[in-house]
Amino acid sequence: MADLGAIAERLYAGVMAPMVLGGAIEPGHAIGARAALALGEGDRTTTDPDREFQVQLGRVRRARRLAAVDRFPPASRSEWALGAILHDLLQAANPTFDTVLRRSAAERILLVARDALDRVPDAATVREALSRHTWFGRVLDIARTDTSVSWWVGSRTYLGVEAPHRLQAWPELRRVSVVKAEHALLELEPLAVDRAGLTEALARFLAKTPLTALATCTRDAPPFVWSPATLALVATRPGRTLALRALAKLPAADVDAALGRATRDLLGARRSMAAPAVTLLGERALAQAAGHVDRGHGGAGPSPAHAHAAFARGLGAVAGMLMLESGEAGWPHGERARLIAALDVAARSPPAREAVALLGEGS
Amino acid sequence: MLERIALHQTRLHTPGLGLDAKGVALGAKGLVLLPSIDRLVGLLSVYTRERSLEDLMPSLGMNVVKSKLGTREITLEFAAESSDRMDRIAETARLVGGFTFTGTARHFVQYRDAAAPFGYDATTLLATDAALALYHDRFSQTYDVERRVELRPLLLRLMPHLDPASRLVPGPRVVVAEQGLGPALVHYLVRSRVDGEVGVAEWAPESAFEDAPVRRWVFRIPELPRRMQPLMHSTPGIRCFVPVAPGAAVEAGHRHPVELRACPVFDPAGLVLVRGGGEEPWILDRMPPMGPLTAFARVEMRTTGAEASTASATRPADSVRVPLRVVPSTAPWKNVTATWVEPAQVPLLRRLAYALPHGTIAAARVAMTARGAFLRSSGGIEAIPLGTFFVEVHPNLYVPAGHEVTPSVAPEVLARALGAAPGQVLFVGTDARAIAVEESAFAPLEAALVEASPWEPAVAEAIEQALDDAPLDLKVTGIGMLPLRGVDPAPKQGD
Repeated sequence: MADLGAIAERLYAGVMAPMVLGGAIEPGHAIGARAALALGEGDRTTTDPDREFQVQLGRVRRARRLAAVDRFPPASRSEWALGAILHDLLQAANPTFDTVLRRSAAERILLVARDALDRVPDAATVREALSRHTWFGRVLDIARTDTSVSWWVGSRTYLGVEAPHRLQAWPELRRVSVVKAEHALLELEPLAVDRAGLTEALARFLAKTPLTALATCTRDAPPFVWSPATLALVATRPGRTLALRALAKLPAADVDAALGRATRDLLGARRSMAAPAVTLLGERALAQAAGHVDRGHGGAGPSPAHAHAAFARGLGAVAGMLMLESGEAGWPHGERARLIAALDVAARSPPAREAVALLGEGS
Repeated sequence: MLERIALHQTRLHTPGLGLDAKGVALGAKGLVLLPSIDRLVGLLSVYTRERSLEDLMPSLGMNVVKSKLGTREITLEFAAESSDRMDRIAETARLVGGFTFTGTARHFVQYRDAAAPFGYDATTLLATDAALALYHDRFSQTYDVERRVELRPLLLRLMPHLDPASRLVPGPRVVVAEQGLGPALVHYLVRSRVDGEVGVAEWAPESAFEDAPVRRWVFRIPELPRRMQPLMHSTPGIRCFVPVAPGAAVEAGHRHPVELRACPVFDPAGLVLVRGGGEEPWILDRMPPMGPLTAFARVEMRTTGAEASTASATRPADSVRVPLRVVPSTAPWKNVTATWVEPAQVPLLRRLAYALPHGTIAAARVAMTARGAFLRSSGGIEAIPLGTFFVEVHPNLYVPAGHEVTPSVAPEVLARALGAAPGQVLFVGTDARAIAVEESAFAPLEAALVEASPWEPAVAEAIEQALDDAPLDLKVTGIGMLPLRGVDPAPKQGD
């Protein structure tokens, strides 16, 4: 096996630190599953304590948007492995692989990374989920800047690298035009690997950092689904609080649509596991009724997103009513009556009835 | 009869000759053939200037050999051991006109030189009963051993060369004085406060007409003062020797042709004194008992008055208590751990606080009193260059730095005399008056320094901008020639 220290140093500087601090992400030679899983053995430290200090500070800053945490330990074994896997996923999307003889290498890197993901354990505690979120919370923000340079007699596109200055010289005389376009990770062109495969790998990656999966549930791809890890997170009181705080930062209508679709799928496929999701929707509905969360606008027209959002709101209203009626939330009497009145309309809506029907099938 | 040995040649004709790890022909012994005894001395002189004969001594043998033609030459034999040693001796022998050979028993072939880097081999051996058969590219000759030459007698027979500079060499001296001069020299040295040892040695009579042994005083002086050297060198009956090796000394003003320090043939328990001027050396097999010079100093007896005066009675001494004084002292400052800043200088201390490093502030404790500020720092107070420095002579007892208390009593006695209560810190001023400060009055200087300043909230917008996340810009890097190198799948469960 190659020098793990050197790999860790390269991984930290090229991917893990920028994931926290922002800036250029520079994946290098693919790491592989064996090295990825072995990177976190022992007390792995890097040779740049200043950068490590900045990263730890950045992680705390990110975590404090959700919880009052003052410090995090350095990257755990699982986090090193996830970092290395993300590194390989990014490297598999390297456009240099998009040639006849090299395409299979990219596929191989992607396959090995997916296999490695299966060997990374799920987050066992809320703190671990929060810790992983501090590392990888911006995974869907990764974008490549492609630069197209055109001049009087030609043009050229540079993928993920700066265009040479000589091509941009004398812009007026040579009629130089420089256009920069950002492309998200799943929208990269050209791509040597199967796009569906990359999307599926990214979905598996998000399942390993459940708080990130919830905090980005409004994403287009990969679509949010309730995984065992996300359900386990919201099944706990602290985890549910973190999830609600993370969701409150997203557009409410989009969150309702994403959660509604995922919950409807969950109720259809694995109804017995849906209780944490329903509780989350219930608490979210209560928060909206109490005015703590923006109600948002579902948009006009019978679009699928609107239907999913209505389903989520209806299911949440029913669950919220049940909580209020059971008295477990400890609301004052007047406030509880006001909340019940606020939820009553949504709880009687057709989507709510559909949700009750789905729930009832399992009871 | 000789042929050069070629690279990688393995077979040799000369008995006892082999090849070492470098491929150089080497026998068990080395032999240097010298035409005369002075060349032998030259060889020893050159060789011992840079290295010792100690490693050669166990196997060293020197012989006078005689050829069939009747010519006498000198051979020097030794264990060859390695081509490095042989090379060194061969170079030295070449310098003094000798030939170097190597072999094991009787047949010795010429040792390697520039013409034959791997040495020589004798293709045809001489049929002889002689003790030595030497094969050289210029001659082949047999020799018989006539007599053996011992190193120590040879060294002792050599006359030292004149070398006036050796008189100026600093260091110990051995001085030999004739019997009549010995006591006078002892008193002279004692009077001049010169350290040293002296003993009396005996030599056999110089002629058969004398029946008493010859006695001489032998002085060993570690450092003879420069002013006495001319006296020692020029006084008849006094000979001054410079030790050149354990157990050997050469008369001052002379130098032995061979570096005696490199010749381990002298017994350190004895003494060989090599005299100049062609005189035979003085040899002491065992050093005589030596005593310090002062033991031989002249003594005088009091001849008048009583033998002793005895006190008739004793009584308690009168009170001798005297007032305490603090006087300047030239003793070096140490343990300067406190300073007294007078009230007029306290504002200066405040201004100085801005320039003090954190370590100094953190370590210092301060007590503010009506007499000024007292600062203490166990690590040293010099970093606060203000006020009167104090030295802690006893726990919680300070006297001004650069001063001492008279009468010169122990710090414990002084503390007891001042009678300070526990929990009080005493500062004795230059006027010998003590100021007591409560130990509890000392507070950390950093706590006493800081004065809270008004603050204003930072602008929220600036914070918001600072907290903005920088975009994540994915860069495309090279994938290398072997992009799958090291990309191993996960080990199987249980590996």
